[in-house]
Amino acid sequence: MLESFEILTASGIVLWSKSYAPVGAHIINSLINDVFIEEKVLPQGTAGTGVAPVYKKEKYTLKWKRVKEFNLIFVAVYQSLLHLGWIDKLIDNIATIFIDLYKEQLKSTRSRAIEYPFDKYFDQQVQELEDNTGASASADRILGDQEAKKDPFASSDNGGPPPPSVPGLVKAQRQAAQTVVTSDEGTPPQTPEISRSSTPSSAHALPAKLGPGGRVSRRARKAANASANVSSGDEPVRKSNKTPKSGKKMRKWGDDGMADEDDGEILDYSVHDEGADMSAPAVEAVAQDTWGRRTGKGQFVLKDLGDEVHSILENADNEKSKAGASAGVVGSSFNAIGGLFRNIVGGKVLTESDLEKPLKAMEDHLMKKNVAREAAIRLCEGVQRELIGKKTGNFQSVDAALRNAMESSLRKILTPTSSLDLLREIDSVTSPSSKQQAARPYVISIVGVNGVGKSTNLSKICYFLLQNNYRVLIAACDTFRSGAVEQLRVHARNLKELSSRENVGEVELYEKGYGKDAANVAKDAVEYGAANKFDVVLIDTAGRRHNDQRLMSSLEKFAKFAQPDKIFMVGEALVGTDSVMQARNFNQAFGTGRNLDGFIISKCDTVGDMVGTLVSMVHATGIPIVFLGVGQHYGDLRGLSVPWAVGLLMK
Amino acid sequence: MEGQVGWTSVGGVLTNLLDGNPIAIAVAIVIAFGLPVLLHMIFFRAAASPPLRNFLLLGPSGGGKTALFSLLESKSSRIPKPEPLTHTSQTSTLTTVALPATVTAASNRYRSVNDSSLLDISKNPVRYRVRDTPGHGKLRESQGLSQLREMTQSKEARERLRAVVFMVDAAALSEEEALRDTATYLHDVLFVLQKRALDKGKSAAKVAAEVPVLVAANKQDLFTALPAGSVREKLEAEIERVRKFRSKGLMDASAGSGETGGEDEILGNDEGQEKFTFKLLEDEVGSNAERGSGVRKWEEWIGMWL
Repeated sequence: MLESFEILTASGIVLWSKSYAPVGAHIINSLINDVFIEEKVLPQGTAGTGVAPVYKKEKYTLKWKRVKEFNLIFVAVYQSLLHLGWIDKLIDNIATIFIDLYKEQLKSTRSRAIEYPFDKYFDQQVQELEDNTGASASADRILGDQEAKKDPFASSDNGGPPPPSVPGLVKAQRQAAQTVVTSDEGTPPQTPEISRSSTPSSAHALPAKLGPGGRVSRRARKAANASANVSSGDEPVRKSNKTPKSGKKMRKWGDDGMADEDDGEILDYSVHDEGADMSAPAVEAVAQDTWGRRTGKGQFVLKDLGDEVHSILENADNEKSKAGASAGVVGSSFNAIGGLFRNIVGGKVLTESDLEKPLKAMEDHLMKKNVAREAAIRLCEGVQRELIGKKTGNFQSVDAALRNAMESSLRKILTPTSSLDLLREIDSVTSPSSKQQAARPYVISIVGVNGVGKSTNLSKICYFLLQNNYRVLIAACDTFRSGAVEQLRVHARNLKELSSRENVGEVELYEKGYGKDAANVAKDAVEYGAANKFDVVLIDTAGRRHNDQRLMSSLEKFAKFAQPDKIFMVGEALVGTDSVMQARNFNQAFGTGRNLDGFIISKCDTVGDMVGTLVSMVHATGIPIVFLGVGQHYGDLRGLSVPWAVGLLMK
Repeated sequence: MEGQVGWTSVGGVLTNLLDGNPIAIAVAIVIAFGLPVLLHMIFFRAAASPPLRNFLLLGPSGGGKTALFSLLESKSSRIPKPEPLTHTSQTSTLTTVALPATVTAASNRYRSVNDSSLLDISKNPVRYRVRDTPGHGKLRESQGLSQLREMTQSKEARERLRAVVFMVDAAALSEEEALRDTATYLHDVLFVLQKRALDKGKSAAKVAAEVPVLVAANKQDLFTALPAGSVREKLEAEIERVRKFRSKGLMDASAGSGETGGEDEILGNDEGQEKFTFKLLEDEVGSNAERGSGVRKWEEWIGMWL
């Protein structure tokens, strides 16, 4: 069962919501954080296919739709255990109806302060869509409906808050209950007199089954096919779908006939409709309207609501098809001229075809800046998603709009969620504020592919730490490559010399020669550091190819033994497409629950403005860049400046 | 004949004007009635609508900025509506809200209680504009701080920033991570304000006089919430640490180009010797509220700057 449905603005204010069971606010917050802001989780399914993207959090599944014109997000939350095939349709319909109904209000400045009496429309939609899918609910539902008919007051008494959805419950029963309850909830706001509204409440389901019968059954079939929880075959489902319906319809017709006996046309129409599955939706709408009017105002309240809703949906459909049809020769040329004009003046609503060319150019531009192809494509797709349906500003060309969007997108990617202040973290570990924690050395380990500059960057970090008066222990855990230990020894000697000259900090090398297990050496080094009151232990590791499973698997043991506070990966700015895989593989190498903590991008001085690797690596993993190596000297270590990087990339 | 001659010479014109000539009478009437209207249109309109004061809501994510924003908005709308639920913001929003009639704005401070113009306030309340910003780490720089910079440097009076309300989740501050995040953000905000004051050639201590900052300790109804004094202490201590390590940290990559001056600025005073307190900036902290009813104190504070 649907747990809750919310309509919220991009600024975070919920315009309208309905919840059937309490869902914590953090569920939707994490959707916004992960999908919209951090773009950690890429939505499955694209906007074009009509299937709403899916996001899973805890036991819930979330589906949503964004309407850029009004900056609205429609989110449906339901239990992951259930497979509700009609959610996509529901979100689509609700979005169309909501925007159509409140177009004016949404455009006004006070859109946030207005109340949106949307409950009845929503209930109608939920009920309708549920009815269509609820194939197996036949017997129970009829029973329920009959009860409602017999004693509408009793049923409205029962209609308290809907029962919380227990997975163990039979789906049919739940749906039956839901149908009754939602209908009763829906009625009162329409007419003040309960006696009046509750009488037809038993017949309210009529338009849902009767009116748009053709569309509904088609939809239902689709939904039934889609829903995986209907374990029985396709054929019986369809059969059972039809039989209860026709049985019910008979009953309904009897009921209806009592309401207005002499109305032959309706019966005629309905019979025709039931037979002709594919009749045009527009015709149905007209017929419904006349029918509704004849029965008298305010008597068949919910039916009118259904009419309204359907006409809204149909109008939207018609407009869509019209838009598709009008792409004739005349139309297209007219559009082209208008488009050109709009391109200069601005105020153009962007479509996919408008963006195709500029996006391609942008993609090429990014790839020239050494952004990996995969990242460039995904960036462009993200920007495209963001821009389609948006209006360009006054005197803003499509290119300029795209450029702005790309810039802000890059900025968003490169800006870390929480900025890392390494010195402060070291300080909080080495001299903890609370008495419970014992002081221990802060462990940083550095990993990376061969020859990217792990040892060099390690010594640069060491120099930086020495400047801040820390006692640093360098652990030589590259026990594999010949010369690696000697190389670090040289660095340590130089740094010792420098630090003693400037009278800052202290540095020592911990080495155990070659051939030993790196993880054990690292563990010993940390213990040695703790015993000798070092502030920081820097661990150098052997370079390894990221797609060599044997070498990478030893990293997991390493992370477990050394327990580093921070694991930094060194990546070259020179590397191109491979950067994505490097980042991803290293990120996954430390086992579950342990990821990289940051990237050090080395050799930034050698690439000029082609700093695309920054974007590729961050984009692939969502892990921030901590340092940039910008030269050959110990002091050539820099923090990342986002405006600088974005400026270079967009140049 | 005589009239035609009269209009060409100066003396003739004067004669005609004093002669009861219909044209002269018409001109006199137009001037007599038109001039006051014209003067009114020119001078009065400019003075009639002073620009609304702008307030900026800043603070880390989950502090309650959007909640306060929508509460103020729904309070000032004519049809009262229960304040909506809120979620994480992605964009900033601007709205005009009214100060409740019970809160006196600073501009009305010296009015007598019996002043008849005060009676109008309930009908025509003092209005101000509030801008809500997203507090998420990734959006802070692009929408929060850049907005702050823009508004403080703006030349136009209607864009200029009057005051900042920095929302803090007092219940989360006892956690190390949240405290660090909050303090870093607050440090950045104060730093922007100080930089602006220094650019104008004023001393750092005058920062608050330019753009006052209210640190609002929200969520006081929660059990774990810290009282205002404690919030102040914690933030001061943490900002002190941020300040200390910022001065030691690495340079940005952009600094390598050498365009930025070597002058290293530290929040607070120039020496950076003393421990950081909000006093250094003459800032105001405190004033807490419970959900729903308790924003009155904050509104009073806002009223002080209207």
